[in-house]
Amino acid sequence: MTEQLPPGLALQKVDERIMTLNVGPQHPGSGHMRIIVQIDGDYIVACDPDPGYVHRGEEKMAEYRNYITNIPHLERPVIHDSCNVLYPYVLGVEELVGIEVPERAKYVRVIASELNRCIYTMYWLAIYGIFLGHSTMFMWPAGDRELLIDLMEKMSGARVTHAHFVPGGVRNDLPPNFEDVCLRQVNYFEKRIKEYSAVFYDNPILIARTKDTGILSREDAIRLGTTGSVLRASGVDYDLRKKEPYDVYEELDVHTNVMKEGDSYARSKIPWLDMLESCNIIRQALQKMPKSGSVRTKLKPNPKGKGLNSVYKRVESGRGSLGCYIVSDGKTEPYRLKLSVGSFRNLIALPYLLKGEKLGNMPSVYWSLNYWPVEADR
Amino acid sequence: MGTATGIIRALNSGIKHIAIKRFTLRYPEEKLKFVGDGYQFDPSAGVGIAGLKGRHMLFHDHCTGCQLCSIACEGVAEAIAMVKVPDQQKQNKKSIMPQIDYGKCVFCGLCVDACPFYALYMTNDYELSSFSKEGLIYTPAQLQVKPYVAQNSEIQITSRGATHG
Repeated sequence: MTEQLPPGLALQKVDERIMTLNVGPQHPGSGHMRIIVQIDGDYIVACDPDPGYVHRGEEKMAEYRNYITNIPHLERPVIHDSCNVLYPYVLGVEELVGIEVPERAKYVRVIASELNRCIYTMYWLAIYGIFLGHSTMFMWPAGDRELLIDLMEKMSGARVTHAHFVPGGVRNDLPPNFEDVCLRQVNYFEKRIKEYSAVFYDNPILIARTKDTGILSREDAIRLGTTGSVLRASGVDYDLRKKEPYDVYEELDVHTNVMKEGDSYARSKIPWLDMLESCNIIRQALQKMPKSGSVRTKLKPNPKGKGLNSVYKRVESGRGSLGCYIVSDGKTEPYRLKLSVGSFRNLIALPYLLKGEKLGNMPSVYWSLNYWPVEADR
Repeated sequence: MGTATGIIRALNSGIKHIAIKRFTLRYPEEKLKFVGDGYQFDPSAGVGIAGLKGRHMLFHDHCTGCQLCSIACEGVAEAIAMVKVPDQQKQNKKSIMPQIDYGKCVFCGLCVDACPFYALYMTNDYELSSFSKEGLIYTPAQLQVKPYVAQNSEIQITSRGATHG
């Protein structure tokens, strides 16, 4: 096999038993990417994920826009989780420009970020349900997501791609009576997602399909550099909200969910447990938030970074650690911007997990990695 | 837990939902209610006022033709073009005003943040579909009109589940 050719084009010795399958990029079970699978009968011999079909050049685009006009396009990689994608960028620019954030704005950001994590996870869970042929699990999360989207819409004025975070705080204050509405809807949301355990997570059919498939051991999870729910499902207690608290997370009581199994079932259950934890964090933040005060520090219209400087900030997104590295050369635009996303790190584990599995288990293992193709390609 | 009891529990949890109210919003007949009259910005305080980021509204008597909204849109969507308007306001000596192309607009609202004269706000109108591309371009005269919105559905949480009342 020659190494220089792109995947799928390399010459191979013909083996009558081995068949090569291209899953994607138009296959509904792959998202905007291709998985090249070699199968022997029903068993996967080798697997080669091939991302890059939705590359947008976000990092290069950021070099031609100033620190404020970068905001709308940088949240496009994951429109369901747009607050969390923007969070490290905003934290980085605040350090580069040198501004303080009001206390109330920090709490508003935490609430927005947790709501967005739940919105993303519900969407991911709906697709996980339809991958496994469980149509109830597609309908319920897609409907219950509306409760939180409604809150984000009241808060920021848009259902997706909120453009709500800016360096120096958030764009607008909470609408009147928001705390009560938020508490009521989050409580009902929590009650609803607890019902999923009977219909989905304790369902013997799901357990039979996902338990003991695609096992990622603790050592492999650390060695391959996976993050987020994949790492926590393999028994590593690592959550940036707790290990490297940003904004006001250190004042809140954050509990991380860890499972030891490292199989598809554990990887699909951790995001659901995280959603329950997010509801707790939102309730704590609503309680501790200052009832009034400024939410935005006034910034000059076209802020400049202070001299030759660089900053790296990372946050815990719905898919794991999400880092943003910004280099400034004292101009109004960043000199270089690099996004380090959780999706791409988790995809590395896929070839190791699928080797020896049945082809029918491929969708459940692949989507349990909490992978978002558009974010991985940037 | 045995396989049979697990399946019965899963089915039972689904069957319970027959008695629960419908959560779906019947969109064209019912429309969601939003807070306030749309996203606005207070330049003296430097902070926005919460509301839906929908179609813009331009106050002709406040607009000075300073082009700051158009500059704010550069690099985001390039949807705002400054066009000549025949009627000349007292303070608008250039007699130019923004014209917005909703085929390009991403509804981020950065143009509203940029306006220092309380001239550009956003409204609750989000139904902007058109049969032609030209129909999506809103001239200053069209942006002046306050939209009519009949939105009254809100999420209500009852003992029998959530519903759009």
